[in-house]
Amino acid sequence: MSQDRDISAPSPPAAPRGARRTRFIHKYAAYIAVVPVLLVAFGFYFGSTVWSMVMSLTASRVFPDLTFVGFRQYVRLFHDDVWVLSLQNLLIFVLGSVGSLVLGFLLAVLLDGKTMGERVFRTIYLYPLAISLIITGLVWQWLFNPSMGLQQFFRDLGLKDFDFNWVGSKSKVMYAIIMAAVWQSAGFYMVLSSSGIKGIDSEIWQASRVDGISKLRMYIEVIIPMMKFTFLTAFVLLSIGAVKAYDIIVAMTNGGPGGHSELPSYYIVDMYMYRHNIAVGASGSTILLLLVVACMLPFGIVNLVLRRRR
Amino acid sequence: MRIAPEIRAVMAAPNRIPPRNPAWTAIGYLVLIVFAVVFLMPLYVMVVTSLKSMDEIRLGHIFALPRAPALDAWDTAWNKASSGFLNKGLKSGFWNSIKILVPSLLMSVAVSSICGYALACWNVKGGGALLSLLLICAFVPFQIIMYPLIKMASWVKLYNTSFGVSVVHTILAVPILTMIYKNFFASIPTDLIKASRVDGGRFLGTFVHVALPLSGNIMIVVAILQITGIWNDFLVGLTFAKVTAYPMTVNLNNITQTQTGVKLYNVHMAAALLTAIPPLVIYFISGKLFIRGITAGALKG
Repeated sequence: MSQDRDISAPSPPAAPRGARRTRFIHKYAAYIAVVPVLLVAFGFYFGSTVWSMVMSLTASRVFPDLTFVGFRQYVRLFHDDVWVLSLQNLLIFVLGSVGSLVLGFLLAVLLDGKTMGERVFRTIYLYPLAISLIITGLVWQWLFNPSMGLQQFFRDLGLKDFDFNWVGSKSKVMYAIIMAAVWQSAGFYMVLSSSGIKGIDSEIWQASRVDGISKLRMYIEVIIPMMKFTFLTAFVLLSIGAVKAYDIIVAMTNGGPGGHSELPSYYIVDMYMYRHNIAVGASGSTILLLLVVACMLPFGIVNLVLRRRR
Repeated sequence: MRIAPEIRAVMAAPNRIPPRNPAWTAIGYLVLIVFAVVFLMPLYVMVVTSLKSMDEIRLGHIFALPRAPALDAWDTAWNKASSGFLNKGLKSGFWNSIKILVPSLLMSVAVSSICGYALACWNVKGGGALLSLLLICAFVPFQIIMYPLIKMASWVKLYNTSFGVSVVHTILAVPILTMIYKNFFASIPTDLIKASRVDGGRFLGTFVHVALPLSGNIMIVVAILQITGIWNDFLVGLTFAKVTAYPMTVNLNNITQTQTGVKLYNVHMAAALLTAIPPLVIYFISGKLFIRGITAGALKG
């Protein structure tokens, strides 16, 4: 904070007697205003996180039990096939979510420089973001309905063997969820890419015109490399979004068929709320926190590299 | 990239992107239109399905317009659809969502705006460290703080109540909102704050008379972010409210997943649309500010 912002150093005029308490409040008002947030950060975030981590090392089941068992719960967790499957699903989901970024960037590129109907297109691509993921999951489950949904529609068109029952298929269910998730969030990455594209110096475009470079080559060779920080931010956000994804699984598949669309976040809530195993739930959530940290690593690495270059 | 001034002078065209082959422009528009159709398709399917009878739905023509559009499914969804626990439809969920939304909106804005103002305009020692801490908090997944929060809420008898859900939403919003407010108030000219101090204005007086009147837009952005976020929340409502206090999204999910009787897809779609209407209305009214809200709140995930 710069020096000239230092205006809190109070020099109140001599206060009348009995006003000491009000003077105290005035002197420390800014600190008093910070206290609730400080309590939230330390009490509810830091405290709760440590609490969960401690629980993950205990023998708790339905009720808390403070007998320490070391990392035994983690061993149990990783011996559960459904948990391991949920981690594999998460990897597929993160990779598939990159589709949101690819589609969003494509839409941003196509919209760049278009004046006709630009706002209408933007409004259409962004509206899924305003609705609940429960609704997204529900409507896509309906679209994937084998006898009344898109599969039937394409079969009626004459594609007799068209198979679109992805939600009911162990091997394809994650792709169904990815489709719904891309529909929901591509608009967001379009906005992010648009601001990245707008941030590029217009002289570069003029130079390309002088040199007669095609627009496509410009995007591939100049614009995309220049936007690498935008893409990095987008990737971090979408991988964290994938790690936290919960609602869409509940609404679309409830983890089925046979756990083939379970994600770690779903597994943990299931463990706490329905299978009532506190310690395994806590160890799963600790892993989830580590996964979020891992998603943020690219940021940290880039920061380090930039600092070393300076 | 360096450009010789004479070349720059040649390029007098105000358009930064030179006119291209019209065929490419047409293809570009074609792709945009195809995607627009794909993006609108689920909404269209929801609307037409909600207006059909179940007999018509079973024919399997998902894109066909309803033969005799009827609002029966909407009526059932709102008034009497069964959620497996109660047969009172979505309307109780609607009011529960309002009951959750209003206090959490007020509390989160009150707590984080004044803290953001303190951090931005007054020299709070350790403010920078607090902001870094808040950034970390914004990334913490809900699952890891869920169990301790449930325990704490039941100690103070807030577990299973609407107000308890509001408090949890406030806790989840405070880190990101404080950062948003801090960034905004830091953009207020320091001179304004100084002038207010010279006039005898103190912490709260300056907040009310100088900072707040300037923060109309940011308040709207935060309100959009919070209203849509809390309205669309599912997990907090599911884990912190009891059956009679479930918000609309949980209610909707219970209606669509109840195992009793045949699945009434028209009712499900009507229920989904009813739940989607409030945030969609906000989205269509607010336009650019909505975009600012979601980009500012991107961290929330």
